Amino acid sequence: MKLFCLQENLAKGLSIVGRAVATRTTLPITQNVLIATDESRLKLSATNLEMAITCWLGAKVEKDGAITIPARLLTEFINSLPPDRVDLSLTQRTLELKSGRFEARINGIDALDFPPIPQIANGINTTIEVNALREGISQVVFAAATEESRPVLTGIHTEFDGDRLTLAAADGFRLAVHKTNLLSPVSGKSAIIIPARTLTELSRLLADQEEPVTITVKQPKSQAFFRLKNIEMVSQLIQGTFPNYSQLIPQSYATRAVVDVAQFSRAVKMSAIFARDGSGIVRLVITPRAELTPGKMTISARAEEIGDNIGEIDALIDGEAAKIAFNAKYLTDVLGVIHQPQVALEITTPSSPGVIRPVGVDNYVHVVMPMFVQW
Amino acid sequence: MNRRILHIDLDAFFVSVEQALASNLKGKPVVVGGRPDRRGVVASASYEARNFGIKAGIPLIRAYRLCPQAIFIQGNFAQYQEASNRFMEIMANFSPHLEPVGLDEAYLDATGTEGIFGHAHELALKIKERIKDELKLTASIGIAGCKVVAKIASDLCKPDGLCEVAPGEERLFLAPLPVSQLPGIGKKTEQRLRELGITTIGQLAKMSPDSLKKYFGASGLILHRYANAIDDRKVEPPAEAKSISRETTFTEDTLDQSFLQATLRYLCEWLGAELRSQGKQAKVVTLKLRYADFETISRRLTLTEASDRDEVIFTAALQLLSRALSWKQKLVRLLGVEVSNLMKGKQLSMLDSETQRLEHLDRAIDRIRRKYGFTSIQTGRTLPLKGV
Repeated sequence: MKLFCLQENLAKGLSIVGRAVATRTTLPITQNVLIATDESRLKLSATNLEMAITCWLGAKVEKDGAITIPARLLTEFINSLPPDRVDLSLTQRTLELKSGRFEARINGIDALDFPPIPQIANGINTTIEVNALREGISQVVFAAATEESRPVLTGIHTEFDGDRLTLAAADGFRLAVHKTNLLSPVSGKSAIIIPARTLTELSRLLADQEEPVTITVKQPKSQAFFRLKNIEMVSQLIQGTFPNYSQLIPQSYATRAVVDVAQFSRAVKMSAIFARDGSGIVRLVITPRAELTPGKMTISARAEEIGDNIGEIDALIDGEAAKIAFNAKYLTDVLGVIHQPQVALEITTPSSPGVIRPVGVDNYVHVVMPMFVQW
Repeated sequence: MNRRILHIDLDAFFVSVEQALASNLKGKPVVVGGRPDRRGVVASASYEARNFGIKAGIPLIRAYRLCPQAIFIQGNFAQYQEASNRFMEIMANFSPHLEPVGLDEAYLDATGTEGIFGHAHELALKIKERIKDELKLTASIGIAGCKVVAKIASDLCKPDGLCEVAPGEERLFLAPLPVSQLPGIGKKTEQRLRELGITTIGQLAKMSPDSLKKYFGASGLILHRYANAIDDRKVEPPAEAKSISRETTFTEDTLDQSFLQATLRYLCEWLGAELRSQGKQAKVVTLKLRYADFETISRRLTLTEASDRDEVIFTAALQLLSRALSWKQKLVRLLGVEVSNLMKGKQLSMLDSETQRLEHLDRAIDRIRRKYGFTSIQTGRTLPLKGV
């Protein structure tokens, strides 16, 4: 192998695939990055066996070849080089790198030992607009479970139905459901569970993309494949049955309060400071409009033996007076991903789920279980 | 305004509870603490047993030698806890200013209740009467203008007594009493005071604060204040507990896994019930082990979610126990569990049906236990404890 490319491109490529490099592993080669010539481009790949990322960058290839090199060492070296041309040449298993007056040699492991990255030819196949996918991921991914006690909950339930894509995540205490459109419809209805970690990484990769993303799901549903411009990502899927979440979304409410997202968010964050010691409890009291006073919502918290706070915001209220307590984190999480200026909070009783919906769009619903407290 | 403070102290509490439950124990020398051929100390002795020189804290074997005909019983902590709860409930009817001290004592601030219950003396009589009617127990009550004098007054009138110290007469009341009556004076301080020629509280009151500070440090100043009946401590409900714990010492050192696990389960159920009754969740579970050679270790585990469920606390404690025992195979003398980092409020869940089933189970068991006592129902895991 013999080629040269630009330091900026190589550094960027390594940072893209670096997300898939294994950190703790029993298979040492997964801590390496695969470097290979691919027609007249340079291909970089990394995998942690749960997901794999491959990217291509422009290079002037003189001689084909492939090798795997410890990812961290290579990345740190390339990042410390000035922006200039970098020459790579392989002699047996040693990669020699030269740039201006700097050079390095790194010993690698044979490319043939690198885990094969699955290729997906046929299956469910569709495309989606980048921003639609990014927004969808951002609105659900935080609601997925982080602990492994119920593996399906660490994934995002992804349903393709005609030209509709529905993403859903639940961790047992909250549920987030986002609906968006596909650019090309799929035939019939089909659902998979994609690890939340993979989608978080995908979302990062989407940040500087503009062209639509191609999604392919291998049948039987064991892998999902995302093609971006010059980047491909493959993810294993989580097997199992996702809870039937539609029945968890309350169909009615006793009280509905429409509030300004920024005001609500500020008040919750303020209370969260006082709620830190008390398992994050913030208390919401909703008071409908009376003859002379407008409707309002108060947001309060208290820290045992330390102090307390209360904030008040305007609210447009439909229904009766109500109170309910939530974990502050669950509220700040959801308020942080809503871009509309107003949200509606719908509640029924202090111990039944609360529903948060952005006002003006109907593609997102978030359900949060309250905290049981003594008022 | 003159404060009126009551110190209410149940007489020979553990033994009296036993006597109230079993009429054949009445009027007899009874010792709670365990069988005299086992190790351990006297937890409580009836007044009949006290006549033989038996008192709380002496080894059981010595109690047996002092009075071989005494009836020795193991005692049942759950029963005492229950009696204590009812005792506190009775007093809570009379004043919100109630400060429980241990299981069988409490201070009650009766200042300003004259309009409702009459003079403090009449209030004390009412309390005694209700305790006698409802619990079949006797209490001794001291009434004074401050806590320390009320406590001494109740000590002096035991059993079944009532002693009121009139406002302004506190110092006169204390003066002739031996210094050992003053809380905070143990054997050593008493000895030291005797060397200084001081045997009564009156003599102590006359000493200058400076010289007392010289002899006894900061606590010397407190002695001076108490001896002069100066005590402005308020009657306060106890501060929120930072932790709850239970432990038990075995009658025989053991390494019997099923017995240890059953005991652990029992302790965890007790803690779970207590957490639920206080409406709290615990984030940290700590196991305490004392081996036969008195080496004592404690191991803690932080739960991912704060919990009040028996099963969650037990699972954590069992994990700690198994780890500790696999590390060191030594006979165990004492086993204890503590829950801490307590928080109020419980995150409700939407999916987890197993969690919810266990919650329902805990709640159902709690209801049965509240009605029929803690030992009225037991889980299979605690079966090896039956009859122990």
